[in-house]
Amino acid sequence: MIKVTLLDELKRSWAITVKDMKIYYLRPHALMFGILFPVALFFTFSAGRNMPPEGLIPILAAQTVFWSASSIGPVSISMERRILTFERFLSAPISIISVLWGKMMAGFLFGVGITTLAAGIGLLWSGQSISNPLALFFGVVLSAMVYSAMGILFASIPTSSPGEVTVPLNLVRIPLMFVSGMFFPLDSMSGVGVYAALLSPLTHTLDLLKLGTGGSSFFGFTVNLCVLSVWMIVFLYLGQLFHKIIMKRE
Amino acid sequence: MTEIKAIEARNLTKYYGDFLAVDHINFNVEPGEIFGFLGPNGAGKSTTIRMLTGISTPTEGTAKIMGFDIVKNALKAKSVMGIVPDISNIYTELTAWENLVFTGKLYGVSKAKIEEKAEKLLKLFTLYDRRDEKVVGFSRGMKRRVCIAMALINDSKILYLDEPTSGLDVKSVRSIRGLIRELNEDGLTVFLTTHNIEEASQMCDRIAIINRGRIAVIDTPEMIKTAMKSSRSIEVAFNKTVKGTQKLFKSLSSVSEVQKRGDKMRLITDDPSQTLMQILKVIEENELKPITLNTLEANLEDAFLKLTGVEMKAEVMHKRRNMK
Repeated sequence: MIKVTLLDELKRSWAITVKDMKIYYLRPHALMFGILFPVALFFTFSAGRNMPPEGLIPILAAQTVFWSASSIGPVSISMERRILTFERFLSAPISIISVLWGKMMAGFLFGVGITTLAAGIGLLWSGQSISNPLALFFGVVLSAMVYSAMGILFASIPTSSPGEVTVPLNLVRIPLMFVSGMFFPLDSMSGVGVYAALLSPLTHTLDLLKLGTGGSSFFGFTVNLCVLSVWMIVFLYLGQLFHKIIMKRE
Repeated sequence: MTEIKAIEARNLTKYYGDFLAVDHINFNVEPGEIFGFLGPNGAGKSTTIRMLTGISTPTEGTAKIMGFDIVKNALKAKSVMGIVPDISNIYTELTAWENLVFTGKLYGVSKAKIEEKAEKLLKLFTLYDRRDEKVVGFSRGMKRRVCIAMALINDSKILYLDEPTSGLDVKSVRSIRGLIRELNEDGLTVFLTTHNIEEASQMCDRIAIINRGRIAVIDTPEMIKTAMKSSRSIEVAFNKTVKGTQKLFKSLSSVSEVQKRGDKMRLITDDPSQTLMQILKVIEENELKPITLNTLEANLEDAFLKLTGVEMKAEVMHKRRNMK
């Protein structure tokens, strides 16, 4: 009797993650939006502003995790639609949720890896110490999950071109940077701005990273964790829902 | 106890918006059978195969794969099948070996079994020596073989093959047809869609012809040919072109149609022996010199055209009439 357990699904999902890591980590789209873009943005908007290192490192880490983790899903899913390998998953004994989970893990690990490297170099260079490891951990790990799930949600756009996913994704990613306290301090924002900042997941990533590297959190550790967790659930739920709707239409 | 069918489609239907792509089709495929699925472009072949493999959800109706419902029991149904789509969807950045290992993992096959099976399949498909090369450098025929090997890594009971030999050279076509026959002899059920009517005629135990979303006929290739008796014909060619011959043959009472095919003429008839006598009379009266005179039995291509082409022609005429 054929029985597919949760453990079986997780193993199959992990096979997708490993395969994606081999194929998509070095793709031009992933390198451009996952590494070059956050570094370029950091130097454009943050470096040279006479900010102390404890202000710069969280911004660098937040931008890196935000861009890198959300870059793999849109590239891998749209490319797999183009070469029809995505249909392999749909006809294989694995649920769509496990397929998306595998894809999400590839984005998550890419985000965690690149951010750890970027933040590690930054911390070594500035000689800054980690004051709250738990906040730093959640600031990187939970955020990478949220942004990877966000990438998966946008990858539900039924197209075979990565560009057609990254353009609408950037329409969300770029404005988020301006309401998250990255370029304009939260305490200088008006009421509406603060509400927008509260809703933006990037605010809470930055808050947690600040807290982890000796700064303070504007909304507080608990609020940061709750908002990021809620966004992760929302992105995951909508992502699988949209993928299922697209599947039904196909 | 009733035997489980390899594939059981009941009222299978698919709408894309208002467009009805597949219209309440019913058929069974027996275990161990090679079942051909033929139809012109846009007839609903690919949509049917997508529903049977769980890629697309049926709007209405059900499909059971080895007794498992493809919607309600999708994971179990998908565990027993392998799919080779019309375009070889393999990871060209990975090696042949990595492609097989990944597919095995996706189907939950144990590591030891994957290695054993991958080695066996790559040897069978004469790809073992190139197992560590990236697929990107492989020829179309080799990619096709990798694709078929991937579909068999899970010990599938049913193999869906969508145009398996399309676009391949003669050598690859023969090799793939041979492999399919070998696998079928070992008990594998094969669901084959193809444009190549000769391929279907040679390989399939039974054939379904689908046209505009409906199944026009399901039977053995020989029975379909026999049922299309009116498509029997006599082919005749002369040493030189003689003006008016086509008209002469058209006027024969036993001939329903005359088709000009290069330097030959094909006379469609219900009664080949009477037509033969009438042709000989025309030859004698007009002092013609025949160089070819063949009686042709009905073939599957004629049956296919009769079942699909005529209907389509009628549809076009009906539309034109409505436009007027």
